[in-house]
Amino acid sequence: MYTLLLLWAVVVVAPLFWLITTSVKDKNDVFLGPKFFPGVDFTPTAQWWIRIFTVERATVLYPYLNSLIVATTSAIFATVLGALAAYALTRVRFKFGPMRNEDILFWIVSQRIMPPIIVVFAIFVMYRVTRLLDTHIGLILVYVVFNLPLAVWIMSNFLSQIPRSVEEAAWVDGASLTTTLFRVVVPMILPSLMSTFLLCFVFAWNEFLFALILSYSRTQTVPLLIAAQHFQRGPQWWDISVLSTLAVLPPIAITVGLQKYFVKGLIPIGK
Amino acid sequence: MIGKTAQRQGRLFLAPTVILLLCFTIFPLLFTIALMFGEARFVGGGLRIEFVGGRNWVRLFGDERFWNALGVTVRIVAMAVSLEYLLGLGLALLLDRKLRGQAVFRVLFIVPMLLTPIAVGYMWRMIFDVGRGPITGILERLGLAPVGWLTESSVAIYSIVITDIWQWTPFMFLILYAALQAIPKDYIEAARVDGASGWQVFRRITLPLLAPASIAAVLLRTIECFKIVDTIYIMTGGGPGRSTESMTLFGYAIGFRAFDLDYGATISFSLFLAVLVSSMVFVTLTRRLREVRME
Repeated sequence: MYTLLLLWAVVVVAPLFWLITTSVKDKNDVFLGPKFFPGVDFTPTAQWWIRIFTVERATVLYPYLNSLIVATTSAIFATVLGALAAYALTRVRFKFGPMRNEDILFWIVSQRIMPPIIVVFAIFVMYRVTRLLDTHIGLILVYVVFNLPLAVWIMSNFLSQIPRSVEEAAWVDGASLTTTLFRVVVPMILPSLMSTFLLCFVFAWNEFLFALILSYSRTQTVPLLIAAQHFQRGPQWWDISVLSTLAVLPPIAITVGLQKYFVKGLIPIGK
Repeated sequence: MIGKTAQRQGRLFLAPTVILLLCFTIFPLLFTIALMFGEARFVGGGLRIEFVGGRNWVRLFGDERFWNALGVTVRIVAMAVSLEYLLGLGLALLLDRKLRGQAVFRVLFIVPMLLTPIAVGYMWRMIFDVGRGPITGILERLGLAPVGWLTESSVAIYSIVITDIWQWTPFMFLILYAALQAIPKDYIEAARVDGASGWQVFRRITLPLLAPASIAAVLLRTIECFKIVDTIYIMTGGGPGRSTESMTLFGYAIGFRAFDLDYGATISFSLFLAVLVSSMVFVTLTRRLREVRME
């Protein structure tokens, strides 16, 4: 049994090991057939890492800054708007025509089904007319919308589990939704707000297709940088391995940080 | 009970989300539908669409490249999703017990699904490389002939599927593992006491209790997998020939490389229909299957 678990662990780690070790290989160690273990069949070198942070800084720094700005801002907005909507949906009874709360929630969440390639035609034309192509705001808006269904869904799961007695007592005294939300609820759900934010951050950080179509040089993001380097430099594996390693570090850190929450937070899916 | 003020505030809380979704998904969907029946041209700063009827659809159904892309996408979805489910289920079952190092395995098994797909695609491109990749090196040491993982048109699709399995088995694992943890252990113990074998317990208790989670996981993964593009874009660019061109990549190439917006929109909409139809078929089938079981 342990053998099987270890086997899959090797399957998961080996490709990442190859990626990271390639970033510390000399040119010859890449070109002259595969080399596997640093210190055994090749001598590791930090030259490409140093080069990325010195000579190549200008080309590399901006995409990382762009990704950071776009992912952080969009994740904040998606989390806040998602939490507000989820709070309203779990506390207030709505009726828009035939649509009740569950229908509205389902409608919001089901927007995730729509393949991005369908909506991107209209967004491209909209952005061309409003001059939002290749701007941070343009990308942020798209990523907020792209993450909202997820944020609403996760937050409504959490919010429907919270006992309501304190809030109800406050409403009887005439308190508003804003008061109960910020005084009572937010302090209780800070950890889940944080997890939602981090998940939205990762999805925006990783996104490729919208960025490919809606941004050019000024707002180039990390996935675009990697794709572009790949087509410009072809076999220069070492540089692209450094860039890819830098790209996957934030998601790895976030997964490790969130692992407990993942298992707990996803249980409602199965119900 | 909630007061009148709070009731009114509720609408304000919900409004931004609904308005954003209307602007960025419902309006664009309508726009795409309009594009399908027209011919789009950029005139000055704006766009002019002339109505041409069903011409784009006639073109689509006669287009070999469309049938190829649809076939490629369906094959990738079928292979990747079924293997991901089996592997994810196996891993979840293996890990659902008291074990040393459980937390470490759990993190390791989840990690790939949140990694940047473009970086993952590049990583696997290096690994599948014939001259310098590790797989060829290992095969040679074992005295086996190298395989053109990304350069042979009959093989490339499997390389894409392997990459997808590596990245997305974690999703199946995560959902099934969470569902397994929620099953009360006394059900299984009671059956054990009554002398049920391990296989019987799995077949009669665990699997039926996992059904809702299994259906949700397979459905969500199928919907996502239909959109596959990032890894293909980096690993093969749709090649060799068109042997790995997915629907999204095809729509992108026509719409934004060839700048044929209306035909690109038609292709994308047909992908939407494919996703919708296959999820409905899947939901109906699983529902009927479960009803038959119940009787």
